[in-house]
Amino acid sequence: MILLPAALGIACGFALVRFLWGRNARCGSEFATQVFLAIGFGAGILSLDFFIVPGAGPRALVTIDTAIFIAFAVAGFVRRRRTDENGHVIRATSEVHPIWLVRALMAAFFIALAVGLYSAVVRTMAHPHGDGWDAFAIWNLHARFLFFGGRQWRDGFSSLIAWSHPDYPLLLPGVIAHLWTFLGYDSVAVPAVIALLFTFCTVGLLCSALFTMQSKTAGLLAGTVLLATPSFLEIGTWQYADVPLSFFILATTVLLSSSGNETADQAFGSCGLLTLGGLAASLAAWTKNEGLLFFCAILFARFLIGVRHREANKSRGSIWLFLAGSIPVLLVVVYFKHWIAPPNELFSQSNAALQKLTSPQRYWIACQWFGRDFVTFGDWLWFPLTVAMIVFGLLVGRNQESSRNVQVRIVRLGLFLTLAGYFVIYVVTPYDLEWHLRYSLNRLFLQLWPSAVFLFFLTCSGKVETSWVSPQD
Amino acid sequence: MNRWRGAISSLFLVLCCLLSSVREVLQAPRVRSIPKTNQISSLSDERFAELKKVLPQRGVVGYVGEGGGTSSAVGSYYLTQYALAPLIVDYSQMHPLVIGNFPHAVPAQLPGNLQLMHDFGNGVLLLAGKDSK
Repeated sequence: MILLPAALGIACGFALVRFLWGRNARCGSEFATQVFLAIGFGAGILSLDFFIVPGAGPRALVTIDTAIFIAFAVAGFVRRRRTDENGHVIRATSEVHPIWLVRALMAAFFIALAVGLYSAVVRTMAHPHGDGWDAFAIWNLHARFLFFGGRQWRDGFSSLIAWSHPDYPLLLPGVIAHLWTFLGYDSVAVPAVIALLFTFCTVGLLCSALFTMQSKTAGLLAGTVLLATPSFLEIGTWQYADVPLSFFILATTVLLSSSGNETADQAFGSCGLLTLGGLAASLAAWTKNEGLLFFCAILFARFLIGVRHREANKSRGSIWLFLAGSIPVLLVVVYFKHWIAPPNELFSQSNAALQKLTSPQRYWIACQWFGRDFVTFGDWLWFPLTVAMIVFGLLVGRNQESSRNVQVRIVRLGLFLTLAGYFVIYVVTPYDLEWHLRYSLNRLFLQLWPSAVFLFFLTCSGKVETSWVSPQD
Repeated sequence: MNRWRGAISSLFLVLCCLLSSVREVLQAPRVRSIPKTNQISSLSDERFAELKKVLPQRGVVGYVGEGGGTSSAVGSYYLTQYALAPLIVDYSQMHPLVIGNFPHAVPAQLPGNLQLMHDFGNGVLLLAGKDSK
């Protein structure tokens, strides 16, 4: 019973991705990228239509989902017929490298994948309601309000239970409630499976996008790094919204980076990627408040890069395509924030926040925690992968071509601004600063981690390939 | 030179990754030790199943639980709200209906403004508030 609506959701996401992609996938990894994106976007669609048509029964939801699927599928078919082209992917770097190295990397990747799958499934079996309070005190509680509340679901978003953060966006609760409506009861398996899907789709998206845009080894290394980040898998199974948010931040990063890369343009297609990027960024805003910060950071980064580089201004249309993709979801976010959610507690005491902004002591404490968590947030054994990657980067050097890509610069600056935004929020937090940092900073790092790994290997590991094929060697 | 640098750095990174994968295996719960009944269900849905039948479908009810503000007491309150949603469980005794939740021991003396309506066992009480808003 659950498979039909889940498959319908993924089909809606796939039809949407194919419509905006503009043509058929040209290689397996490009197709895989589309599938992983489709799963995330499908979740977004299920969540949004449940929110827009509150209290709808299973039949009404199936009708809506089917209509959405047909609309996107027909639009995609018409668009592909107009722009159909043949060709093959041109990767940023050559695929020639020693076979033993590829085999070693592949073996490491599959070991990490097997360990990751085992660990995630066993954790989910041990904690089917999620591990940690936020699962039942925030995300699954909101899903219950949406599901059991019927047309009065808004009652659940009351300031009487401000501890449940009723101002948090509803992507995750919405998709859970949507699937529960089909089932007819609040199955504990639904949020657990959604958590697993987002965790492994993030890994899949990271690998497949680098396979297509960079090289096989870059994809394998990046996937291994993410799978070997114990806290990523752990928090992924906790049923928190941090990993789904990391998925949408990564999707934005991948889509924007590929839209501005000449070689990737040939691999990925058209300006529809920018529209999809805008949609992914807006779904990040619909997942968690930090996603809204990320969305604003990307827009601000675009503005800053536009001021400095004429090249970015040439593609002024890109910002409109990005906004066109984001506006439908942003309207829902604005409606939720303005008419339903109570004010966010972080910004409820503006005078106190201003006072905290002038306290050097708070900056120093936050700096210390950011520095410490930079090497510990992954819960790695023996050697932090952040440090290992810096060593790796120093040894192999940078891929100048990718680093010069304007969209890559925008995303990189956007991620940095998001991190800076997190820092400022900690400085002004109404909670005890040390307590707030202790219980949330590692999750904030994890939200940006898959995107950071993607950008790192996109702008760095190309040199690994060329170092093996360079004729001078 | 570049050739070896690239390979060695890749293998070094992979080695660091696999070490952490070892940690993942070590930290994962043992399959045999996974309990058949999970704690969240037994502390929330199962405990409050009978109470839920007699409560209104919607609205706001009060709450009184084990004091002290310990994380266990706070967790019990959150689990009560989780079990009784879409009913709102306000951490206050100023309501006509108040849920009493005492997972460890029911106090001998309830607050004076509350009157016992029904004891559902297992530390779950339905109380009537005398000072409702």
